[in-house]
Amino acid sequence: MEYQVPRKFPTTVVGSYPKLPEAKKALKARRAGEISEEEFRRLVEQAIRGVVEDYLWAGVDIISDGEQSREDMVVYFSEILEGYKPGEWVKIFDNVYFRKPIIVGEVKWTGPMTVDDWRTATKYAQGRPVKGILTGPYTMMEWSFDLHYGDRREVIMELAKVLRREIEALVEAGAKYIQIDEPALSTRPYPEEAEMLKEALEYMVKGIEAKTIVHICFGRIEKILPYILDYPVDQFDLEFKNSDFRLLPYLKEYGYDKELGYGVIDVHTTQVETVEEVKKAIDDLMKLGILPPEKIYIDPDCGLKRLPRQVAKAKLRNMVEAARIAREEY
Amino acid sequence: MKVWGMVLGGYPRGRLSRYTLRDAERGRIAGVDRLRGLYASHAELIGVQKAAGLPIVVDGMVDWHDILRPFAQSWRNVSVDGLLRFFDNNFFYRIPVFTGEPDIIEPVLAPRVRDFQLLADPAGLKVVVPGPVTFARLSINKTELDAAELAEKIANALRVEVELAFEAGASMVQVDEPFLSDIDAARDDGVLAAELVNRIISGYEDRSVLAVYFAPPKPEVYDAILEVKARYLALDLVDLRERAVKLVEEKGFGGHVPVLGLIDARRIYDDNIEEGAELATRLAEGDEVVLTTSAWLDLIPYRYSLRKTYLLGRLVEKTAEKTGGEAWTIWR
Repeated sequence: MEYQVPRKFPTTVVGSYPKLPEAKKALKARRAGEISEEEFRRLVEQAIRGVVEDYLWAGVDIISDGEQSREDMVVYFSEILEGYKPGEWVKIFDNVYFRKPIIVGEVKWTGPMTVDDWRTATKYAQGRPVKGILTGPYTMMEWSFDLHYGDRREVIMELAKVLRREIEALVEAGAKYIQIDEPALSTRPYPEEAEMLKEALEYMVKGIEAKTIVHICFGRIEKILPYILDYPVDQFDLEFKNSDFRLLPYLKEYGYDKELGYGVIDVHTTQVETVEEVKKAIDDLMKLGILPPEKIYIDPDCGLKRLPRQVAKAKLRNMVEAARIAREEY
Repeated sequence: MKVWGMVLGGYPRGRLSRYTLRDAERGRIAGVDRLRGLYASHAELIGVQKAAGLPIVVDGMVDWHDILRPFAQSWRNVSVDGLLRFFDNNFFYRIPVFTGEPDIIEPVLAPRVRDFQLLADPAGLKVVVPGPVTFARLSINKTELDAAELAEKIANALRVEVELAFEAGASMVQVDEPFLSDIDAARDDGVLAAELVNRIISGYEDRSVLAVYFAPPKPEVYDAILEVKARYLALDLVDLRERAVKLVEEKGFGGHVPVLGLIDARRIYDDNIEEGAELATRLAEGDEVVLTTSAWLDLIPYRYSLRKTYLLGRLVEKTAEKTGGEAWTIWR
């Protein structure tokens, strides 16, 4: 059963979703060595099914697996790839820490890392496309320590080779949308940094038969934007709402003409955006006259994982409704 | 040439301080046990720096959640709010919210100096304050003041902090202005920072450092920074190294004693001491050069921060050897 994604203003998600109880239980028990891999997969499947049901309830067109088996966007991949070892505690804020992984050898792909969860989500998606989502090489590099390569460009290119294998595995499984998450890029908005990722992306997505997306959020996106417009991807998925849409005029200034994942839902506040608010955000973009509705994907700023589940659902529902109204108008 | 070293700022928390703070947050230990745990953690770090031959040490500031927090929490008319990314790091600080002119309830630095100066001896104890421009730029301003006026009021409060710290026995003060290396920083920010830092350190210029890190400042911002009257000027020579070196080679240090951030504070590999010493020799000016970490050491695991401190000591020795200078290890 193939789902017909709306031609105008399709709705989507960035990826993560609040961890459902089954996922929390699975992750905790696996870390403690209390469950088998089969039991872990069984619990994760339940969680992914719950996430997909929420998306279907809200009416989202292009969905994700909710990243239910990922504790952290970098640590998850580092624990599967060869060449990494778990790091020691590094603070994130206050008295909260994470184990920043360390590259200690040649980074190697050991097999699909995201395909099982993608398949599970697809199984329950009632034909809706599911994004294949992975953390990009720049962010993997920046949020890991390196004790092996000693050269950032080499690290990023080696990671690109590994992640290319993952993209191939996802596409082979049937993924039509591949999203590469690069939140770290906007924290260092310098041309040489953007150039380094461009080279990596050229390797990663060359000849890939799927829509390719780069997601960037929470930083000085307006500063990095002029340096990334020629990236070899179909779409940029960007955060707008949290920064009060300050990025909008820059789209026009820089002649932005790729597809746009338009972040209209703030994932850092539990206040649910109204349908009118989201619709107004769409109107504001349309007033710029730079992109047709067919190139605009409506979604949240970033993953929804930090929100309570009910809030996440309500936000998505209003977002979908606003997109529906906009479709009638434009 | 006199060659010496100092760590730029705070350290990460080791197991003892992490657990102490966690247990204190959960009400599981007595107040005196909290003090004891933190004191031991700070004492250990002071010892590590002295063992590395550093004549100026910091107490490690392991009880500070971020550089702004202790001040924001010790001033009237300031509170702390949600989290925001601290420059380009995967680390988040709590945003200070100013609702009026900051007014000191209780000094932050002077009691620390009194706690740790004897432990530091014969090394001198350095205190660090966030620069007023950085402080204002990283805060939410709900006052009637504009951004420059708020920075000025912050500078007034910091001036009191610094005076009290020197009265308590501090040997050196460092004012951190990482915002000046930010891509959004303009020449005016540099001008304002220099003016306000001069006010904060007035009377103590010979024992003052202005530190700019995470990237090299833009040339026009750097020109403005050079007007600061602090004897020492610290720059990050690790991040975007080519740009940083070019900047220094073109513009020099404007008569300030160079404080060269050559030990990588944000990555954990062993720094190449030979290469670092060569660069230090090339960039050194005048008859004194100070070597330091490229930023605070608090964003790497504890074990590696100790290693970096050791490497800094080695870098001092190697640089002294290359310049034919004297590695200076005793403050007094």
